[in-house]
Amino acid sequence: MSDFGFHLAFWSLAAMTIGGASMIVVSRNLIHAVIWLVLSMLGIAGLYLTLSAEFIAVVQVLIYVGAISVLMLFAIMLTPRAERDNSQHIKTAGPAGVVVIMVMIATMWVAIDTDWGAVREAALTEQARLIGESLIKHYILPFEIGAVLLTAALVGAIALARQDDEDAAVHAASLQAELDDDGSVDPVDVVDPPLPTDGEAST
Amino acid sequence: MIIGLEHYLVLGALLFCIGFFIALSKKNAVGVLIGVELMLNAVNLTLVAFSRFGTAEVALSTQVFVVFIIAVAAAEVAVGLALALVVYRNRQTISVDRTTLLKG
Repeated sequence: MSDFGFHLAFWSLAAMTIGGASMIVVSRNLIHAVIWLVLSMLGIAGLYLTLSAEFIAVVQVLIYVGAISVLMLFAIMLTPRAERDNSQHIKTAGPAGVVVIMVMIATMWVAIDTDWGAVREAALTEQARLIGESLIKHYILPFEIGAVLLTAALVGAIALARQDDEDAAVHAASLQAELDDDGSVDPVDVVDPPLPTDGEAST
Repeated sequence: MIIGLEHYLVLGALLFCIGFFIALSKKNAVGVLIGVELMLNAVNLTLVAFSRFGTAEVALSTQVFVVFIIAVAAAEVAVGLALALVVYRNRQTISVDRTTLLKG
């Protein structure tokens, strides 16, 4: 428990998690912010392993690192490049920082000052079986509600994101107009293009 | 020094506050969503720490709770990103301070 390897794992994973989260605050490009988020999520998955919660760690990698980050990248890439700026803050960012520092002081004081009682030495074993059993025995109603929620979210996301045909035509026209205004090279107009450039490569 | 419950709780509090600041201060709606995800992860980390170090009764229920939180977070991200796309399509922006249609 207190050996050198455990210390090394905890502190390096903690640095990875906090460092990745801090880089989200300062990164100017939204895509870079999502990549830093992935690093932070991987650090948290490693911390779950140091807490001997293997099932949660695997679920974390599958859902957050695998699915949610890819979903975010898709959503960012479906909006034009002007909306990928992550550097701007709202006007009340200063007061928000004060509030956050007050919350940080309060939570840390509670975390350190409280007597959390005796520390249990043995970790939970056979977690996947135990979690599965309690999901379908003890927590069957929340489990079913969660299933309905996921279905509703799936249908709702598709219903929100699909667009009508005339909307799509207007949207495509505005996108094309923006690309032309960007000063990026249109491959059709170039007689002898040195390299096939598209909108992405010009940045 | 033994790495105990307090280390994980302080780490979770730090992560929560970073996510809180991102969610409060970023102009981009997807940036706000990233902050909310960080906050949910910090809470999950705290719950798993309690599952490891707490009493035997909470060891299993906290992990089940974490599974539910992850499921709800996935649903939230899917709907949130679809909303961001719709807002962009209708308003040509996803800045949270320029989408003021409901402002009185």
